[in-house]
Amino acid sequence: MDVAPAPVLMEERTMAERVLEMERLSKRYGDVVALHDLSFQVRAGELFGFVGSNGAGKTTTMRIIMGVLRADAGEVRWAGAPLTFATRRRIGYMPEERGLYPKMRVLEQLVYLAELHGTTAAVAQRAAAHWLERLDLAARTHDEVQSLSHGNQQRVQLAAALVFAPEILILDEPFAGLDPVAVDVMSAALREQANSGMPVVFSSHQLELVERLCDRVGIIRSGRMVACGTVAELAGGGAERLWLDAPLAPEGWVQRLPGVKVLRREGTRTLLELGPGSDDQMVLRAALETGPVREFRRDVPSLSELFRHVVTDKGAA
Amino acid sequence: MNGMATLRLVARREIEERLRSRLIWVMTALTTLLVVALIVIPAVVRQPAKPTVVGLVGSPAQAVGPAVQAIARAAQVDIKVVDVANDAAARADLQHGSLDVALNIGAHGAVAEVRGSVGYFQVQTLSPTLQAVLQAALNAVHQRQVLAAAGVPPATVRAALAPVPFSTRSLQPPPTDQVARDVAALATGILLYISLALYGAAVANGVAQEKTSRIAEVLLATVRPGQLLAGKVVGIGLCGVGQLAIAVVGGLIANAAVKSAVIPSTVWSLLPAILLWFVLGYALYAFAYAATGAMVGRQEEVQFASLPITLPILAGFLLTYLTIARPDALWLRLLSFLPPLAPILMPARLALGTVSWWEMLLAVLLTVVAVYGMVRLAARIYAPALVRGGARLTWSAALRLGEA
Repeated sequence: MDVAPAPVLMEERTMAERVLEMERLSKRYGDVVALHDLSFQVRAGELFGFVGSNGAGKTTTMRIIMGVLRADAGEVRWAGAPLTFATRRRIGYMPEERGLYPKMRVLEQLVYLAELHGTTAAVAQRAAAHWLERLDLAARTHDEVQSLSHGNQQRVQLAAALVFAPEILILDEPFAGLDPVAVDVMSAALREQANSGMPVVFSSHQLELVERLCDRVGIIRSGRMVACGTVAELAGGGAERLWLDAPLAPEGWVQRLPGVKVLRREGTRTLLELGPGSDDQMVLRAALETGPVREFRRDVPSLSELFRHVVTDKGAA
Repeated sequence: MNGMATLRLVARREIEERLRSRLIWVMTALTTLLVVALIVIPAVVRQPAKPTVVGLVGSPAQAVGPAVQAIARAAQVDIKVVDVANDAAARADLQHGSLDVALNIGAHGAVAEVRGSVGYFQVQTLSPTLQAVLQAALNAVHQRQVLAAAGVPPATVRAALAPVPFSTRSLQPPPTDQVARDVAALATGILLYISLALYGAAVANGVAQEKTSRIAEVLLATVRPGQLLAGKVVGIGLCGVGQLAIAVVGGLIANAAVKSAVIPSTVWSLLPAILLWFVLGYALYAFAYAATGAMVGRQEEVQFASLPITLPILAGFLLTYLTIARPDALWLRLLSFLPPLAPILMPARLALGTVSWWEMLLAVLLTVVAVYGMVRLAARIYAPALVRGGARLTWSAALRLGEA
């Protein structure tokens, strides 16, 4: 009976070690610095959103992880060990746009890619059929890839990245050009993979989607990681803000509160910034003294706001 | 998974993709038809070797029959003599084609009547040889009659008019199957030219497709560049060998069907040599084509980018004509050792029977060395160029990329 807990401990330890670490990656193309000392980590079971302007270095980072490009400096590690060809074969990868044989049939393509990753033909067939079913592509099983719509090709690409049961998922712009239904299918599949204990990294320009979907977000600018963490953590960096609606409050009552500043007014609503020496409960009490309070909530900036802030503000790094 | 298994998977996909495209079947049908046509058309156009039928019209002409046969036999001319009753019957037979020449002897001497022009392929005139035979026979009969009338004993006349044995001897007798060898050399040149250009271009296009569609990025995460390159070259090459084999077997069947003896004596060494030289030439060119395919920025650039590789293949093909026309020219013999030209010129020379075993061996060795160099070069360019985006790379830029 004493033996029972041991495997659970083992399991927990290996889970804890399963981290994809990007450590001080640097890459130059001639005079252009593509990546500069870029570091971040993605844990197993985590869905990591990678955002940044065009040319910020997202694709370069992913191609370095995949070994398509060699970094000038730095290292990528998985579970503590530098990535080798053998480890990379366990990564499901979706390059930006295309990445499939246009004239090959959907099922054949998936089976081929699975077999290249060392899966036996029978298992490859089963896995390919499973993913086609799961991604609503079963009807297109025997169609040539080039006859599929953009969205469906994108789904085939995802299936291609998943068909050999990878340990890690790296996806470059998987949501680009998808309709809302396809976005939902893709999101659900990525969430499911992360929940099954896989680190999932994807890049995207759809910030609301990233905010809704990801456990953690990394914002990259000119090859540097300028912000990395949960959306709440990123937002926590700034001062606390409050939306307050006290319709009967007299003009200028806020000025009497120490450390509180009015940022914006919308009708009777006010956006307040709480400086040092103030706290939200004190503000609420003062507001209630003026009459009814219709709204009182913390304002968490959206990822879009954060993104615009760090990407345009020169001092953010 | 070991390297061979990966290579086999890649090669199998290439073969399946090619067998699915209509192009390969059309090209296989066309090359096979071409080879069959090269064998069948000369056999059909050339008059089959049947004896010339000489009709002897009326008794004066029929009297010279034995003499005509004797002279023809001595001159080794294949003729058949038939008796014809009169002019009208002779003309009818000429029109009908059962008679080639009608010989009539009248008061003013002998007249040989022929059909004349009756169409593009059949122009019937009296050949100089047959004319000489008929003339000699007529002369002999005439001289015998004159001498007999002058009282010369028949034995003396016979002895005097007996044909003197005459034969020719040549220091370098041309092979009896010279035409067949020329045809075989031409067919060899065409076959190898088409196969090398077609399957080389297939390699360039396949590589460019993988590059421009970014499949290469996905593949290179799980397959070594060497496995991908070798698998592609082997897969497409096997399709080429298959197509060649179909064309060659088609040619042999056609040859058996027309029973035209066009088959040259060199054929049994030629068939394996064509396959060997296809493999060597294909290896040399396919790796060059693969490097080119990896250097383009867009699929449409492949054709222009691979021009420097297509041109030597074309040169080899064109030089085949010259080699057939001037089999002994020293400069052509020397050119046939150059690795880019040898894959077409060497088997063509073998078909002509103008190459010795050591020449063939030397050419094979030179080509193998060239293949080795080309593989090294292509391997250096291929992987870095394949994952590099942007515009088309020049050879020197691609090589610099490979150094990094």
